[in-house]
Amino acid sequence: MRKGSLISFVTGVFLLAVACIVPGSVQGSDKPFVFGLLLVGPYNDHGYSQAHYEGGEYVQKKVPGTRMIYIDKVNPADRPGVTIVQLVDDMVEKGAQLIIANSDDMKDGIREAALQHPKIHFVHISGDDVLTGKAPGNLVNVFGRMEYGKMMAGFAAAMTTQTGKIGYLGPLINEETRRLVSSAYLGARYAWETVLKKDPKDLTFQVTWIGFWFNIPGVTADPTQVSHNFFNSGYDVVISGIDTTEALVVARQKVREGRKAWAIPYDYIGAGAGAPEVFLGVPYFNWGPSYVDLVNKSRAGTWKPAWIWLGPDWKDINNPDTSTIGFKKGDALSETAARALDAFIADLGSGTVQLFKGPLYYQDGSVFLKDGEIATDKQIWYMEQLLQGVLGQSSAR
Amino acid sequence: MISQGARHVVLELQDIHRYFGTVQANRGIDLTVKPGRIHGILGENGAGKSTLMKILAGYLPMTRGRILLDGTEVRYASPNEASSLGIGMLYQDPMDFPMLSVIENFMIGQVSGVASAGETYRRKFSELVQEFDFTLRPDTPVHLLTIGERQQLEILRLLSIGARVLILDEPTTGISTTQKEILFSALKKLAAEGRSVILVSHKLEDVDALCDTVTVLQDGRVSGAMDQPFDSTTLLSMMFGAPPESSRHIHRPTSQTILRLDNVSAAGGRTGLSGCSIQVRRGEVVGLAGLEGSGQGVLLRVAAGLLRPRKGTIHLDNHNMTHQGYHAYRKAGAAFLPASRLEEGLIRGLTITEHCALQQQGRSFLVDWHEAHAGARKKIAGFQVMGSPGSVVESLSGGNQQRLLLAFLPERPRLLLLENPTRGLDLESVHWVWNHLDAYCEQGTSIVFSSSELDEILLAADRVLVFFEGRIIKDVLASRTNVMELGRALAGRV
Amino acid sequence: MVMKQDKTDSRSTTKKRVFLEYVLEAVLAISLVLAFTTVVLLIAGAPPLQSYVHIFMGSLGSWIRFTHVIKAWIPLVLCSCGLLYTFRIGLWNIGVEGQVVMGAIFTTALMRMGTGTGYPSLVLLLSCLAGMTGGALWALGAGYLRTKGGVHEIFAGLGLNFVAQGMVLWLIFGPWKRAGIASMSGTETFERSLWLPTIETLRISPAGIGIALGALLITAWMLRYTNVGLRLKAVGNNAQAAYLFGLRPGKYMLIAMILAGSFAGLAGSMQVTGVYHRLIPAISSNYGYLSLLVVMLANFNVWITPLVALFFACLNVGSIQLPMVLQLDSSLSGVMQGTMVLAALAVHFIRSRLRAAYTGGT
Repeated sequence: MRKGSLISFVTGVFLLAVACIVPGSVQGSDKPFVFGLLLVGPYNDHGYSQAHYEGGEYVQKKVPGTRMIYIDKVNPADRPGVTIVQLVDDMVEKGAQLIIANSDDMKDGIREAALQHPKIHFVHISGDDVLTGKAPGNLVNVFGRMEYGKMMAGFAAAMTTQTGKIGYLGPLINEETRRLVSSAYLGARYAWETVLKKDPKDLTFQVTWIGFWFNIPGVTADPTQVSHNFFNSGYDVVISGIDTTEALVVARQKVREGRKAWAIPYDYIGAGAGAPEVFLGVPYFNWGPSYVDLVNKSRAGTWKPAWIWLGPDWKDINNPDTSTIGFKKGDALSETAARALDAFIADLGSGTVQLFKGPLYYQDGSVFLKDGEIATDKQIWYMEQLLQGVLGQSSAR
Repeated sequence: MISQGARHVVLELQDIHRYFGTVQANRGIDLTVKPGRIHGILGENGAGKSTLMKILAGYLPMTRGRILLDGTEVRYASPNEASSLGIGMLYQDPMDFPMLSVIENFMIGQVSGVASAGETYRRKFSELVQEFDFTLRPDTPVHLLTIGERQQLEILRLLSIGARVLILDEPTTGISTTQKEILFSALKKLAAEGRSVILVSHKLEDVDALCDTVTVLQDGRVSGAMDQPFDSTTLLSMMFGAPPESSRHIHRPTSQTILRLDNVSAAGGRTGLSGCSIQVRRGEVVGLAGLEGSGQGVLLRVAAGLLRPRKGTIHLDNHNMTHQGYHAYRKAGAAFLPASRLEEGLIRGLTITEHCALQQQGRSFLVDWHEAHAGARKKIAGFQVMGSPGSVVESLSGGNQQRLLLAFLPERPRLLLLENPTRGLDLESVHWVWNHLDAYCEQGTSIVFSSSELDEILLAADRVLVFFEGRIIKDVLASRTNVMELGRALAGRV
Repeated sequence: MVMKQDKTDSRSTTKKRVFLEYVLEAVLAISLVLAFTTVVLLIAGAPPLQSYVHIFMGSLGSWIRFTHVIKAWIPLVLCSCGLLYTFRIGLWNIGVEGQVVMGAIFTTALMRMGTGTGYPSLVLLLSCLAGMTGGALWALGAGYLRTKGGVHEIFAGLGLNFVAQGMVLWLIFGPWKRAGIASMSGTETFERSLWLPTIETLRISPAGIGIALGALLITAWMLRYTNVGLRLKAVGNNAQAAYLFGLRPGKYMLIAMILAGSFAGLAGSMQVTGVYHRLIPAISSNYGYLSLLVVMLANFNVWITPLVALFFACLNVGSIQLPMVLQLDSSLSGVMQGTMVLAALAVHFIRSRLRAAYTGGT
């Protein structure tokens, strides 16, 4: 009996609440196309997740009749007990026809959800399920060729460093992060040897991994601490590979202490805001154009499983309507370096400079690319180790 | 000097009812307490005294009735509100903060706002102490005080917050004769100043020595009232219907030694136990006398295996038990009955049946509820416990709890170790308990018990051991001594 | 005189009184939780009524959503069942969180061994048993520290929680990492045959629900009909007196801890086999801590527990609507859980005041 009274009380309270107000606004007869966004970090992280969030906003602006729903902080540390499948179920109930999951971390969950909702279209950013054949027909993999962005970041870092020591604040170790670190290193080495004509022995390029895309207290290493360690041990430029802006914040602190320090954040065009004295530039994702394309395909019924790897628009890598990958130069980048960087970008675009070209060796000395060999997409995507010359862990010990 | 406002106040209780479920603890009690008088409330355990006093002091809400102060009805719902009206209760177990000092306890509940008033309170405190010839020192930690001293502290605290009506519930239990005298003269002084004092007791001698008037409760109602001079027979008949008889108990100890302690010392209590050697024979009843906490409790616990001796040896039935634990003693036939029933003896929240089930001690996985229930019924009937198998033990009155504890003693123990077995019981129950214990002696059980009542010890025991500061300073046959002699020994004069 | 027979059936009156108390307290508890939450929502600038509607609809608004509630309910109920034993004996088994984690670790270990053996049901069964063992061992650790080392179970439990969490991180980043990958996002997903069997059309796992209901029944039965249950209560209510009755309090504390750890470990098994299908750093989803609240708000009553657990599961699943629909800052649900703790403590306090008013001699 007391069970009953408890139930009826709880239900009563809820029903009363339901009766009191009509939830939400009733949808008009003109049903909008709803697409859902699962963001691994906060939607306003000045990094990876914000870039996606703004891509979604771009779609709403450019394609009439679309509506975005999103949920951020989708990770078990921030939302204990909440699963990808659960969120997808919920978005589908809210009418979502296309769901974009933005993190590598969501790979298993989004595949499971895609199997459960065969009529809904799914995009897994950064995944390779289509390449490996694990993906169901409604799942598409999309990613940007950030390798170019990282090359530019490495280039800018090497042009700037005075100690010859560049730090890379790494997230976790997987294929994606290995190739990004390697790209940054290649860009740095090119600037150091070819542009500055310095001795390769004087260039130190070190990566330190924290264990996840952003700081999870008690779980990951603390990126602020890692950045401090870099600057305190002679590194004067830190390239961030993580979703948040700790490197920039710490660099700024060091400059205020009278030291020389620079940082290159990641992911988001606005990441350098507020720290002009240390901000060398940022390689960023511009998801708007590719999102529009995906939404259009989904609406038009021309959805096909695909593995899409989008690069910069070499005509203007910073064109918001065409280029998926961009590099925004920062105030702290010197005039000379900026000019050299522009030339470097032009050479990359024209193919004059081809950095993934042999001979290249892995950390353990084994051959990655034979002399003169140019890497295929798959070779780059599935790099097994970091390149020789990069200090730091190649894979989990 | 002490209180604000008038000290003289007439307190009237009209038609007080209090029900606990269907149990009617108070059923229509009328009582008028006049200023300047010491008013006794007599009654056996379970008569409704404590309930009535808790209502008066604001600890319990009443079911029905009115309380009037000087003819005006007052309502309050907490002890705080009661004391702001000038009604303060000195509880059976003083509720203070044991780790704080006397002066800190004194200040608790009075200090508001600034903390710098310490000196003022210290002065006020020492004035009060002198006025009443109390033995308190301000900086003693409260947990080192005797029960009597704690009472003194409580009285001072109540006075300083302006109590005009003081309620004392069984104040003479567990305090020394000296402290009793100090208490009584303090109470008389308070009454002479115009305050009202209400004294709850089941001891005729207390009432006789102190009270101007007495109201007797029985079964939740007023069964009679009387002014000085009192007539014991009339009072007892108001309490019980007929006066209980008392006679000296005779046992026939054999020469077989059951318990032997040789030069045992142990820590514990106020004084510990030092160099104690005793022998208890089969069928013998040994009474332990002494001021509260002089080593009697430690001896009982050492003999039960609950405390390990620091030195010396213990033999039970000629087996060396010195290094054994309680469970081994229990197996060997020693049973211990603690003084604090609800703290150590019974388990709050468990029914009588559940206690019986616990006692089954079966190896079986499932509880035999049927047997436990039957056992409970049997014990309730056999030990005249007022309660049903489903009653939780804390709902029973003190006397019934004690009967229940006795019911849980093993049937054929070798040795019973009883700590204040009749503390707080009415005369009728005391009588009943000893009849029951005598039956144990008949079958050859030895009994060692402590008591703060010398009369009881002289009546029940064959031999008396007097404790002083942790030592046995007198070991005498009960038939060869008297209250005067024992009283001197209690104070350390052999 | 003294032997008056008790004519009133005081048993039924006690029951009636207890029943009234329960109703009063349950109403009080839920109202307090709602009141506290409302205050938080108002402070956060959220419309409270609308928020409640979204939470309600987000958890019970459709079958699919309800299945997610059930998924959270199962481990909550399991942990709560375990805690009923430890609360019964008066232990604050705050280490339940670590026991869940340990259960998950042991389960994962066995699943890794069992992958590809071709006996998925057997592997699942053994994994759950392993989970129970892991949780029980971890609880036993806290129990030993308490009974033999004199370390309070709250500190022992918190310490062991940290150690268990550290072990998960170490395993995920080290020995159990995915090939070539060092990420905190978890171990490799288990093959589908090793997932807790689910009825795909209904999206529920009969095994999971069966285990939770079974745990409830066993717990109710254990507490009511067995000597262990009775003795746990006896020691919990008065260890000193229970000792005088011939019980060994330490032994029963260990028994209670083992039982609690087993159920918590099983909750960990459910998280691994039924929800995440792998080991992740936050594998416990904080259900251990949450179940402490559940049991306290349920007034330590075995039949009210599943209902309160359902309430919390709904809240957990439904509150995701707040950031999604009302764009409320997502840290709000954390704040809400914090206020639940306050509400639980407040109820606890009021309850003991009520008890004090009820009891008292005649």
